[in-house]
Amino acid sequence: MGSRQFLFLKGKKEKFFCFAEGFEEVKRAVRTRQSNLLCNVFILSVSCSHFHLDHCGALPYFSEMVGYDGPIYMTHPTKAICPILLEDYRKITVDKKGETNFFTSQMIKDCMKKVVAVHLHQTVQVDEELEIKAYYAGHVLGAAMFQIKVGCESVVYTGDYNMTPDRHLGAAWIDKCRPDLLITESTYATTIRDSKRCRERDFLKKVHETVERGGKVLIPVFALGRAQELCILLETFWERMNLKAPIYFSTGLTEKANHYYKLFITWTNQKIRKTFVQRNMFEFKHIKAFDRAFADNPGPMVVFATPGMLHAGQSLQIFRKWAGNEKNMVIMPGYCVQGTVGHKILSGQRKLEMEGRQILEVKMQVEYMSFSAHADAKGIMQLIRQAEPRNVLLVHGEAKKMEFLKQKIEQEFHVNCYMPANGETTTIFTNPSIPVDISLGLLKRETAIGLLPDAKKPKLMHGTLIMKDNSFRLVSPEQALKELGLAEHQLRFTCRVHIQDPRKEHETVLRVYNHLKGVLKDYSVQHLPDGSITVESILIQATAHSEDQGTKVLLVSWTYQDEELGSYLTSLLKKGLPQSTS
Amino acid sequence: MSPRGRRAMSRACARLLPRVCAALADPRQPGSDDTCLEKMLDWFRELREAEPTVKLLRDNPCLTEFFTAVLALPEPEPNVLSFTLRLAGIVAAVEDSFMHLQQLELLARLFGEDGPLNSAAWEDASVRSGWVEGVHSMVQHQSALHFICSGGGIDVIFTLQGDPSLFVASAACRLLVHLLTLSVGSELTVPLNAKDCDWPACAHMIIRHIEESLQSNSASHIKQSLKLLTSLFGSCQAPWTKVLWLGMAKQVESFLTEDSVQAQHILADLLLNMARSPVFHDTEGSFWALVTSALEHLTPVQSSPLAVGILRLHRCPQVVRIKALTVLLQPMDCILRAAFQPLEYAGLLDESVSDPSAVESLLSSKSSCASLLCQTLAHLEELLSVVFLPVNLPYASLLRSVVTILQFCNGLLIPASPLGSKISQILVGCFRVQKSALDALAALSDRKCSDTVVGSLFDVLLAYLESPNTTPTVLKKSFKAMSKWLMSLPGMSFFKNQQQTEKTLQDVFLVLQKRLCSPCWEVRDSSLEFLTNLIRNLRDHDEFRQSLLSSEVPKLTENLLEDPESYVRASAVTAMGHLAFITYFFVPESPVAGNQYNKEKTVAKLQEILSTDPEGFPRRAVMNVFTMWLKESCTGQLEETEQFVSTVVQTTAHDLDWEVKLGCLELVQIFCNHMFCRFGLPECPYAPISSAVTSSICQNEPLQIFCRANLFSFLFRSLCDCDKPVGQKACDILLALKSHFCQSSTTDLQGPGDLSAGHGIHWLQGTLRQGSLVQNFPTDDGNGVDFQDPESMMLALRTIDLVELHNDLNKCSDYVEKSPQSLLEDILATVGTAEENEADCY
Repeated sequence: MGSRQFLFLKGKKEKFFCFAEGFEEVKRAVRTRQSNLLCNVFILSVSCSHFHLDHCGALPYFSEMVGYDGPIYMTHPTKAICPILLEDYRKITVDKKGETNFFTSQMIKDCMKKVVAVHLHQTVQVDEELEIKAYYAGHVLGAAMFQIKVGCESVVYTGDYNMTPDRHLGAAWIDKCRPDLLITESTYATTIRDSKRCRERDFLKKVHETVERGGKVLIPVFALGRAQELCILLETFWERMNLKAPIYFSTGLTEKANHYYKLFITWTNQKIRKTFVQRNMFEFKHIKAFDRAFADNPGPMVVFATPGMLHAGQSLQIFRKWAGNEKNMVIMPGYCVQGTVGHKILSGQRKLEMEGRQILEVKMQVEYMSFSAHADAKGIMQLIRQAEPRNVLLVHGEAKKMEFLKQKIEQEFHVNCYMPANGETTTIFTNPSIPVDISLGLLKRETAIGLLPDAKKPKLMHGTLIMKDNSFRLVSPEQALKELGLAEHQLRFTCRVHIQDPRKEHETVLRVYNHLKGVLKDYSVQHLPDGSITVESILIQATAHSEDQGTKVLLVSWTYQDEELGSYLTSLLKKGLPQSTS
Repeated sequence: MSPRGRRAMSRACARLLPRVCAALADPRQPGSDDTCLEKMLDWFRELREAEPTVKLLRDNPCLTEFFTAVLALPEPEPNVLSFTLRLAGIVAAVEDSFMHLQQLELLARLFGEDGPLNSAAWEDASVRSGWVEGVHSMVQHQSALHFICSGGGIDVIFTLQGDPSLFVASAACRLLVHLLTLSVGSELTVPLNAKDCDWPACAHMIIRHIEESLQSNSASHIKQSLKLLTSLFGSCQAPWTKVLWLGMAKQVESFLTEDSVQAQHILADLLLNMARSPVFHDTEGSFWALVTSALEHLTPVQSSPLAVGILRLHRCPQVVRIKALTVLLQPMDCILRAAFQPLEYAGLLDESVSDPSAVESLLSSKSSCASLLCQTLAHLEELLSVVFLPVNLPYASLLRSVVTILQFCNGLLIPASPLGSKISQILVGCFRVQKSALDALAALSDRKCSDTVVGSLFDVLLAYLESPNTTPTVLKKSFKAMSKWLMSLPGMSFFKNQQQTEKTLQDVFLVLQKRLCSPCWEVRDSSLEFLTNLIRNLRDHDEFRQSLLSSEVPKLTENLLEDPESYVRASAVTAMGHLAFITYFFVPESPVAGNQYNKEKTVAKLQEILSTDPEGFPRRAVMNVFTMWLKESCTGQLEETEQFVSTVVQTTAHDLDWEVKLGCLELVQIFCNHMFCRFGLPECPYAPISSAVTSSICQNEPLQIFCRANLFSFLFRSLCDCDKPVGQKACDILLALKSHFCQSSTTDLQGPGDLSAGHGIHWLQGTLRQGSLVQNFPTDDGNGVDFQDPESMMLALRTIDLVELHNDLNKCSDYVEKSPQSLLEDILATVGTAEENEADCY
């Protein structure tokens, strides 16, 4: 679980942008060779997509222990909720005594002080060249996708996102921003998930049956996120069915969580916002705060308890008490890592060794219900269709499934798709269009010459490009000379054209003159007294060939301004003179 | 258990292992979770320490069967193949196991030509990584070394140095260093000299490879070899490294000026690692000449890290040190020269020794100015934090240049010189440089520099604190620098002048007043932290106390106890706790204090926060304040303190926040120690011991007090708290109480006493074990155990096996999860279920 991305944007200046990710991942990156990346390159800014620990767990470590001192960008809800979860994370880690070198509460606070909160669709200028913009990602409250732009090159990093709205959040949305690269999570790279309604119905049925037969239901959750979704689900069901069994939410986090959900109501979906006028969805009638003494109360009840993997704390304590009764049920709504009690019971183990060599026999029912809010394969394709990226990079998924998705993306959208392994570098080539400032004088002159400008058609312009101090300007040659203090040099092209004509030189010249006058009616063709011909700046002189008097050599020369006419003229003369003029 | 405390393979594990191996090698099973495989490797590393690996292989033939089975698969899972290679490497690290595997003809199929390196699986980076790691683990003896060097393995490693995967490339580099060190270290008996290089065969191959790469035209090959040398000299300081170096010195030196190679920053690393190795200290000056040349030729950005490293060395020629100092100080010198007329202040450096043109051009360019200054300032800060720095830095001038940079950054200084005005244009409003400069400024406060610059320093800091353009992060750093400088004030000659001190302090509090009302919580919080820090360090200074109390700051701080942001409320609580030392604890007759600061009012307010604040941070802060007060004996006379502790304990007993409880236990612990000191129990060695006190429970004053304050109820309940640190702490305290009371008591230690059946001590112990004390101890009414009855409590203490409980609690709560048996069971249990429970990450 967890991933990390470091991103280089090579523009006029090298930029380094980093997405904060899970604690272990960043720690390992810092410890191994990638630390050189961190130390040698100046990290401009860090953004954090949402409050889940595999996305923000490393932040205090990164900013307070490794010493990152720049800005950290988050949305407002993420900034508010992040410290709660980081505190919880710290507690569990300290509790388990696994990690001694862990961040403190003070570090979490200091880290949060470095956070710059951003609004959705607000363009934040990090420095003169780098800007970022957040888009709604669904998934959990405050989750965002970030677009990072340097000059004309841009990257979108999705974090985790969900393309189907649920009970409390809307679907992710992005405009057609055509980034050079889209980095997308691919947790469900190949899955097309069955209908949400079915899963919800299943869940409610199981809870209802257990409660009806007098059993207790334990739902281990992480304090925020999916828990709120399930709470709304149960609350409405209890209301509809007029059920009386108590529902509890453990730890002091529930009020705080609901406080934030109320505060950031604009981040939830439309339905919740509409009903908000009459009633706040997060003010639950049936769900009460849990006191640890309640666990021993007789009769049915439903308890949401943290942490979600049954590896420590209250959920584990309640599980131990209830595990022996086959009337009870535990519903695991998410992923559990190896070693945790959650993982063990999900894989079917029924006799667990506890501290002090006690064996806990699990007689209660164990159910797994996936309620996580990630985009499935359809959703990922939909997002690509929305954003129209030039390249796609898959992360946060399993290699085999990603391979399948990669092929699908390449077939359907004809863009390059990458899935680098950890430690692998991917280089993506872009075709940047470089903006150039054009002087008003030149613009006026050019438009005056040609036809009326057509907004839909590109127009070719001539001028002198001045590259100075990281800026590009197109100006008229005269202005360029003036600005750069240079003198003008005339550049003439010359060309010799051989013509078979036995007549005298001046007669040949006359033939040429007549011929040109006939063809170039719009130009001033002149025959000069010295025997040469001019057309605009083009000069034509004729001499007899030194060896063959029957061949005349026409010397044509022109300035670069008349390059087009000059070339046309020479090609015309090369075809020879028409007989009729003779 | 082995003598080293490592655990050999248990029977249960040995029974599970064959099935696990079979499952892993079964292509029909989905690939196992990588974390499980990592944990298995860790387990085998431990096993290797605990028992002879050849025995392990013979006792568990499933291991070699597993290797064979995986190698026979037409398309093995990359992660399983990688695991196989790494496991084989761990096992083969011991020579007789290596021989065993060779007899089975497995080694060549794992690491040799017939192995994965010539198959399609090699395309996968994890397989290559597994191969390199496996070889690294295996090559711990001559047989393995010979196997790799003669079997063509070494060429594979050379190639892997340039692997597209960073992990593989760097692992290959480390492996080569390991092979070289092992080869020379174990085979070389006579010391080498530069002319007669009889390197052992394997070392010879590697050295030739390095030399060829260095002479090649390929920049990437050159860089790989330079990295290898860097890593070698960083890890090995044997004399032969010098011989190796002498053969390559000339070639390496040429890269200093070779722009096409672009290896300058690797060179800086290489030279620094060498400079740290004593081997190179006496190379007839040639090495140091190279370092000097590097300091001259590398760009300021490249040479600065090298310079800092050199300045930290204790053994280094003075000339090199001066050169390094010049490199480091050059940008700061340029700043001073750009800001002032030549006669105004002397620069940092003598113009004759340095050529500032390169630095000047970097400073006058928009793209490089800020980076160069940030790097220099960070390096200076690093040097200032070194306790025994072998060089003397020109502190006064440094301080002036840091202050000058800060002035540039907020537009306070716009010099007339072209460079100065250019720099000031670039730097104005630059947060990055502001932050670095403020950090450096804070670090400089430890150094004595009685100079007039200190006056302008306070002006600049005040300007930053006042300015509305200062960002919250910069403000926080300004506060830090300000508090460090204010704390160094009393010892400084500059502020002997009392008026000036008072003026500065008044200005500071004026600014603080404004900042405490900021709409931004980060600013309010940093301001409160600043205030707390000042009080903590300066509360004994009269001027400080006077200025603080005559300002609005105390009142505003009190108001912030009601702040909407919990972080701010917590900081306000802490500040109030410290403020109490000034307002009433130590200065009861202070004329300023008057009636406006009322101790009871503050205590009541904090108690209220403790019992009603919905968030943990303020409640934790209250606990910390109470503990601090108790430690400093500010909670009044005995009875008053007893009442105080009792109230706090009652309030906290039902708190849901584990740290609040932990804080309360800390308070209880201090209270207990105080009581023991007071009543002369052994905790205080100098306290009078009266046998009369200990003779009877009724006369045991501390016990009576603890019971009255209802501490035991709290301690026993905490013992079975679901948050383990709480239980641990409670157990520690109870153990201490037991050792005090039971040691001094004359009552029989063995007997459980005659408590009524069913509610006796055995029952208590049982209930405790089951962790259901809370519901089984309703209150002291009826049949329950009376926590306020000294006799019952003495019995409880004596009979409960607190030591065993202590041991249980101190085990990691995941010690079962971490056991190898659990791991093997988990892997087996997952077989077949993985498809069902799709990875479903939150």
